[in-house]
Amino acid sequence: MNMVRLDKKKFGDFILELSVEHAVYAPGNTGGKTDFIPVSSEDEINLKTLVTDLSPKGIFFPHSEVLYEYDTEGIRVPEKEAGKPIAVWGMRGCDSRSLLMLNKVFGSAIQMPDNKNFQDPYWKEKYDSSVIFGSACNMPQSTCFCNWFGDGPHSREGMDVFVVDAGDHYLMEPVSDKGSNILGKLTCLTDSLEGDAEAALKLASEAESTMVPPMDVNGLGELLNDLYDEPVWEDISAKCINCGACTFSCPTCHCYDIQDEGKGSSGKRIRIWDSCMFPIFTMEASGHNPRALSSQRVRQRVMHKYSYFLEKYGDFLCTGCGRCITVCPVNLDIREVLKTINVYNRQGITNG
Amino acid sequence: MSEWQPRILAILCNWCSYAGADLAGVSRMQYPPSIRVVRIPCSGRVDPLFIMKSLQSGFDGVLVSGCHPGDCHYISGNYVARRKFAVLKPLLEFIGLEPNRVQFSWISAGEGDRFAKVVTKITEDIRELGPATRLVKKT
Amino acid sequence: MNTTNELRKSIKALIAEKKVDLFLAWEKGSLPLTATPLFVSTEDQADRAVFDVTCGNNLSIYFTKDRKQFANRKVGIAVKGCDARSVVLNILEKQIQRENVVIVGVPCDGVLDRKKVLAKTDGREVLELIDNGETVTVKGNGFDLLLNRNEILSSSCLACTYPDAQEYDVFIGDARGEVPNESRLKEIHDFQALSASERWDKTRNEYERCIRCYACRNVCPSCYCNVCFVDQNDPKWIGSTCDYTDTLIFHVIRNLHVAGRCVECGACQRACPMDIDLLMLNRKVAMEVKDRFGDIAGLDINGKPAMSDFREDEKQKFIMG
Repeated sequence: MNMVRLDKKKFGDFILELSVEHAVYAPGNTGGKTDFIPVSSEDEINLKTLVTDLSPKGIFFPHSEVLYEYDTEGIRVPEKEAGKPIAVWGMRGCDSRSLLMLNKVFGSAIQMPDNKNFQDPYWKEKYDSSVIFGSACNMPQSTCFCNWFGDGPHSREGMDVFVVDAGDHYLMEPVSDKGSNILGKLTCLTDSLEGDAEAALKLASEAESTMVPPMDVNGLGELLNDLYDEPVWEDISAKCINCGACTFSCPTCHCYDIQDEGKGSSGKRIRIWDSCMFPIFTMEASGHNPRALSSQRVRQRVMHKYSYFLEKYGDFLCTGCGRCITVCPVNLDIREVLKTINVYNRQGITNG
Repeated sequence: MSEWQPRILAILCNWCSYAGADLAGVSRMQYPPSIRVVRIPCSGRVDPLFIMKSLQSGFDGVLVSGCHPGDCHYISGNYVARRKFAVLKPLLEFIGLEPNRVQFSWISAGEGDRFAKVVTKITEDIRELGPATRLVKKT
Repeated sequence: MNTTNELRKSIKALIAEKKVDLFLAWEKGSLPLTATPLFVSTEDQADRAVFDVTCGNNLSIYFTKDRKQFANRKVGIAVKGCDARSVVLNILEKQIQRENVVIVGVPCDGVLDRKKVLAKTDGREVLELIDNGETVTVKGNGFDLLLNRNEILSSSCLACTYPDAQEYDVFIGDARGEVPNESRLKEIHDFQALSASERWDKTRNEYERCIRCYACRNVCPSCYCNVCFVDQNDPKWIGSTCDYTDTLIFHVIRNLHVAGRCVECGACQRACPMDIDLLMLNRKVAMEVKDRFGDIAGLDINGKPAMSDFREDEKQKFIMG
């Protein structure tokens, strides 16, 4: 299937049509901030937002998710409300790519010790049936660094439909079979015109040209492994206050804690976002904390993103969306951290 | 279905108010069966968190009671407590909780009648407010 | 007078004369709207120090964040009026010793709140900020806005009474003096005029956005418990979910923990990634503390934090008759 057009005047119809069979999420306002929120009409959508303040991971991996409820009768998994598959509008390449990374953790079958394959059912139920309408990013921000990881503002990874905002209309191109299917069903679309594909390419190269040239991340994983015991982490972490703002706004951070909330003879087991920035994250029952120091926790976050995940899944756990840079209360910029590491190691080698 | 009865958590200090409650009991004074008592060493031990947690878990009201000023077994526990409560109470009202949900009193070991009166009063206040909803966590 | 230059000179002198081993200041951040904390230990590094409208961080948090770093060291710190009060509180609460701290006051005209600037640019990214004194210019792709300073200052600064450090060793430039300012109380009185259920709805709307990142707590100089009550899990006092009852209890109790200790520096509000109006409750508590006990946090280095003190004859109308 080829590229199709959606006239912006028909955007409202498009959302309504999409809502018939899908629970639609799109960038919207919560308080003074932007997040991916459930929407039912065009008015609730904030089309002007740049990178949303909160990442879309919460759609598939909510902050607090009840895994099951229990009482004297037994255990029950809470029933889903609408049961409609999820459709997301307006997800930039950095965000749609993050879903692929999370899917490596939650969606791929993990070989368990008893030889059974484990997949996270709560994630799969939502993610596998979802349709992602990606959004080509025509205006990268100064905090964007997706190009560090071989990506660009017009990346289509992780999307089902690639959408380009081309002025008074959107250009849509299917990326996956799911994408082709849904575009085939929607009636408010029209065929693309000659020159549309070129226009999209032009926007892509314009967007790319506004980005700052990337740092070379080749070999970053090994560099980090070499630096594990170096005192550089103390300098890097000196100003970090160990809040979870970076973790909770990150589209790829996925650590969670499982807590029981019981009262009387009933209760529930809840999965809740956790952050490696918190001292309690690694606190052991004995009272020993293997990551008691701020420098150890900051190191963990950087190592997980740029070394451990790479080793295990063959990809960095960072899409360069820049949210952690914008949100940090003390302006601890992850790009500066990686640059420091890069320089420090080179010096380390020359000094033997 | 039986009529709703207020459930009130009474946090009583060991040396005065708890003994006052005892006296009310042995003197066979009548008061509504609405309170559940938690005995603590001193009203100074009361962390505002106890009160918030009680409301969150569904108590319709909280009564905290200690020794009269000057009578604290630990000399100054209730003075420190009073400062805490003096800030807590307006703050709870400020965020929109009903003023009478959380109340404080001083009851000595000899004031069994006062204890009965205080419990009757807070029970009436809370009955008027109805069941707590605002800070109650849905389970 | 150029505050930044004077600050650099002052830091260099303190380091050269070996009066401090380490100096806490600000440097230009990687983003136009925010400065970042700077740890100076050599004279060269002092040239990176700046002071301007972006220096919102209350640096006294670092005294209690990593005590090891400061043990047996003379530490200098650049302070705005509110930061100085935090340092005083840290001294009062025996977290640091007065003789180990060199306090350098800077003349403060208020710091900006990034969220207020972004609200003015309609979500467009700011790439440059120029401070013209009464006004600031913000520039981005295809726009150039001249904003009145009052439009972008942190709400803590708009209502600031003590812009100058009250306790200092060195003061750079001209002090502004006390600025009687009751505007912060107006907001509270307006809110109190609402009905209980209106107040509850507003509070709930505000606090149900909390994502429990604890940026407010960690950026607060008065929050330095080794284990915060929300992190205690034996017993587990409150749930870690984003249920509004959980988030509200966290914030209310945190407010009470900093009652009489909050200097209203506004760091929590500026740090909040969800744009929650955190200062409102802090101000209410500070107002109660002042009205009832006559205390203002961090002004008197010989005083005692309000909540660890008492008088026998205090008003107790709120106690049941």
